Amino acid sequence: MSAHNKKISRREFIKRTALGTGSLAVSLMLPEILPGRAWANVPATFKDCNLVFVSFDALQAAHVGSFGYSRDITPTIDAMAREGFCFSNNISTASWTVPASMSWFTGVYPSEHRLTNKFSVFDPPNNSVLSNLKKLSPELVTLAEILKQNGYVTGGFTGNAGVNGFFGFDQGFDTYFYEKGKFGSMSASIPKGLEWLQANKDKKFFLFLHGYDMHGQNVPAEGFDYRFVDKGYDRRFTGSAAEQEALREEGLEKGAVSMRDEDVRFWRAIYDEKIQRTDAKFRQFTDRLAAMGLLDRTIFVLTSDHGTEFFEHQRIDHGFTLYNELIHTPLIIKLPKVKAGAVIRDQVSSIDVMPTILDLLGVNVPGNAKKQLRGASLVPALRGGAVAKDVFFETDYRQYTYKRGMQTRDGWKLIYTLEDKKRELYNLNDDPKETRNLVKQEARRAYEMEQKLFAHFKAIGHDLFARQWIPGLNPVYDSQAKQAVKKAS
Amino acid sequence: MHEERSMSRLRRVVVSAVFFALLTGSPAERARAADKAPDRRFENTNVILVSLQCLRPDHMGIGGYTRNTTPNLDEISRSSVLFQNSISHTNLTPVAMMAALTGQYPRVNGLVTFDVTKDSVSARTMPEILKYYGYSTAAVVTSLEFVMRFDGESGKVIDLRDVFSRSYDDYIWPRRHVGKSMRVLPTESLDWLEKNKTRKFFLWIATGSIHPPYAATVPPAEKTLYDPPGYTPFWTKFFPVSGNEGGPDDPTIDLLLRIWDGEYYQGFKPVYRLTPDDADYIRARYDAGVHYTDGFIGELFNKLRQTGLDKNTVVIFYSIHGKALGERGTFINYDLYEPVLKNLLMVRFPDGQYAGRRISEQVQGIDILPTLLSYLGIPIAADLQGNDLMPLVRGEAGAKGTEYAFIDRMPWWEHWMSRFFLEFKFHDPLRTNHPPSEEEAIVAYAKMLNEAFPLDAYPPGDIAVRTNKWKLIVRKDLRLLNKVSWPRFITGGKRAFTDDTELYDLVADPHEMHNVAAENPKVVEELKAKLLAWDANIEKRKAPYHRAGEKRYLIPYP
Repeated sequence: MSAHNKKISRREFIKRTALGTGSLAVSLMLPEILPGRAWANVPATFKDCNLVFVSFDALQAAHVGSFGYSRDITPTIDAMAREGFCFSNNISTASWTVPASMSWFTGVYPSEHRLTNKFSVFDPPNNSVLSNLKKLSPELVTLAEILKQNGYVTGGFTGNAGVNGFFGFDQGFDTYFYEKGKFGSMSASIPKGLEWLQANKDKKFFLFLHGYDMHGQNVPAEGFDYRFVDKGYDRRFTGSAAEQEALREEGLEKGAVSMRDEDVRFWRAIYDEKIQRTDAKFRQFTDRLAAMGLLDRTIFVLTSDHGTEFFEHQRIDHGFTLYNELIHTPLIIKLPKVKAGAVIRDQVSSIDVMPTILDLLGVNVPGNAKKQLRGASLVPALRGGAVAKDVFFETDYRQYTYKRGMQTRDGWKLIYTLEDKKRELYNLNDDPKETRNLVKQEARRAYEMEQKLFAHFKAIGHDLFARQWIPGLNPVYDSQAKQAVKKAS
Repeated sequence: MHEERSMSRLRRVVVSAVFFALLTGSPAERARAADKAPDRRFENTNVILVSLQCLRPDHMGIGGYTRNTTPNLDEISRSSVLFQNSISHTNLTPVAMMAALTGQYPRVNGLVTFDVTKDSVSARTMPEILKYYGYSTAAVVTSLEFVMRFDGESGKVIDLRDVFSRSYDDYIWPRRHVGKSMRVLPTESLDWLEKNKTRKFFLWIATGSIHPPYAATVPPAEKTLYDPPGYTPFWTKFFPVSGNEGGPDDPTIDLLLRIWDGEYYQGFKPVYRLTPDDADYIRARYDAGVHYTDGFIGELFNKLRQTGLDKNTVVIFYSIHGKALGERGTFINYDLYEPVLKNLLMVRFPDGQYAGRRISEQVQGIDILPTLLSYLGIPIAADLQGNDLMPLVRGEAGAKGTEYAFIDRMPWWEHWMSRFFLEFKFHDPLRTNHPPSEEEAIVAYAKMLNEAFPLDAYPPGDIAVRTNKWKLIVRKDLRLLNKVSWPRFITGGKRAFTDDTELYDLVADPHEMHNVAAENPKVVEELKAKLLAWDANIEKRKAPYHRAGEKRYLIPYP
């Protein structure tokens, strides 16, 4: 791999973008919004516009052209970024699908919507109870419910698994598509979505599109052509879902997987091929919307629930850490009839997505839903205002770990592991790859951030001391439940 | 009342002056006013923690004592805030003190026994947090519980540097003896202050000088200050059990723990009934130790005044726990009765701020750390379990103490005996201090204790809750408690625990002579529910105790 193909870190990218130097990143052409500078042509409201919300499951921000990636694998997404607003510092609330995605649709943190594990009760073989929004947090109102109340038709077209209807992701949707038993592709969800659009295009609609195409548990139906793989790679790996699962399990068991540099490059190349293929599918989707004449009255929100780890921290896959390869995700908002092409560098959170959408659409938000929302609308940023904030994230991952974290707007990050009280402090400005734990050197900062972190969770009603955090509780997937040791919580 | 009113008027004046300066002053003036804002006191306020192990507040002038035992502390109290109702977390020093140093109950911070490892407590301590904020940290320690560690295998005293000495730049153990005792005054602290007065510091002065053997290190004239005239200690007529700590006339732990229900035991039989003079003598020696220690406190305050440190130093006095002095016929801190649990907590704020305030609400040692952090303007760690007492100190309306004080009797007295006392002290052939007739039984008792308390097993304990009116004690395992009981053993079976639930009416029966649980089922029910709820919550947050294969070291003194 040539030097300029080497992955650059997110922070580094941001710096380069700001300086106007660096590689061929598409985003270099995008002007940057400076706080305080009004963005002239953003109308006050997008009332009655349609909403298309797309989740490219497992897409790491650093692999998107408009976020600084050097391989041109996301031309469709980047084209939208060139006309829209690209939030270059968007941090997800969690590092795996179920908790992260439910934060978009409820506007609350995973600890509050409580879909933090696959089972709310785990007592195999007979009494395991699947987590479900209505059961766990019956008081929460979803984005689809609010839009439906405001006259929208609502359709979700997904790849199942982490966003399947059983968890309650279908709450408020007229139609919710997922194929049971699959980490499904947009090859299935896009046609279903388009079919539904054809029937509903003259109504006001909210369409949620999701696919697992970039995820480790999905391989393209047509197979890989290994377009980005090093010539002469010895094919120790082939890129299969089974291989990635085995690597994930090896990493969880041993704390690290054994990988050669060429293997890491191979997995990145496979990932890039998946991303490129997905982008092409998405192109077909947007082309059809254009053909239906919907673009002038449709808002697009493109994002991802979490990233994917390729050995940045000696492991593969996602969910079990909170490093930025997992929680730094793309967020692009494309507004109809607005040619912006702006990069907003302020740090924001996926918790802000729902209030932003409600704000843009100018819908009536019921009082209980208003109270529920933990994030803030990012609309001021679209008009040049400052929206930078400290952000919070968390993961409860299978029987392995329970982590909580925060990242300040000026680039300090604390990860707290509840089961062993381990603290990690990183200065993302100097150490974007999160390799030097500064807890000892920056003891006061770590202490104060820890207090902010705990205060945040306390403020959202989540008492981190109310239970013992013992690895072994609540596995996520059936295949992993077998080995899990059941313990009382 | 009058004093309090004028205080609050003064405070209002100061507050409005600062506010006015903030509104109208020049930028420099505003900056100066902001500097004085209470939230950044950690920038220039020193902290001294004086632990006065075993000091009973009712044996001090400010506690209404008739003897003039504490003229210096009484004087300092005039410029201090006195908490008149401070309750210990347990009856034994290391465990009770660690609760104060961490702001967490014993089972949560993890120090629950007298055998420890270097890292067995991972909770943050007072010096650790202050160090984050640029404090130099030092301790001068003559409470041996905080410094002396014993390797059971080699039989040697080792420098373990465990949780008590962690986070200190200087951790000074003078290692001086007076006679056989090392429980001397920590006078090295005065030199340390002189040398470090220009630094921002945290200094822990931990004096063991009040602890038994009572008055063993006090100079002769002062030692006998309160002795009944012409008295000869009763124990000189019997086999000399006092071992390696005290002289022949010193009341040592070894002999005090043979006094039960007013009788002295040897050979598992009462050999002597104590007279009022005997009890007076023990108290006199205790008081002599208090008086002697108070003299040192006087020197310490002279030093603070000479150096000007009294203007920018908060001084916290904490006595960890008290001692029984014959109220129920015993003279040790075996159980959870009032003389053992009531301790001294007094805070002298810089330059006598809040001078003379008296706080009667119930408080506990775990409140010290959050209160200190609050005063200094340091965020209070989320894992602290105590209360910030500053609202009480400032006299804010609605400020409250701890209505229910929770207590862990942990470890049991017998647990620490099994770890050191019987195993290594009693059996040291050079220092045998039990009658030869007891030898065989003591060996068997020690063996039984070691089996009852396996190395890796979590230690058993009793729990209690105290209000200003009631104290409820729940014996979690009455059968085991009686099986291992030292009083039962040493009294030849005469003394035993009979009830798993004890309720005392602290107002009607201040010496806790009558268990009134049967007469007050509603009170028992209510307090027990509170206590068990607390206990369940503590169990959820309990720190890990023992890792397999871990070597533990012994805190060798009770």
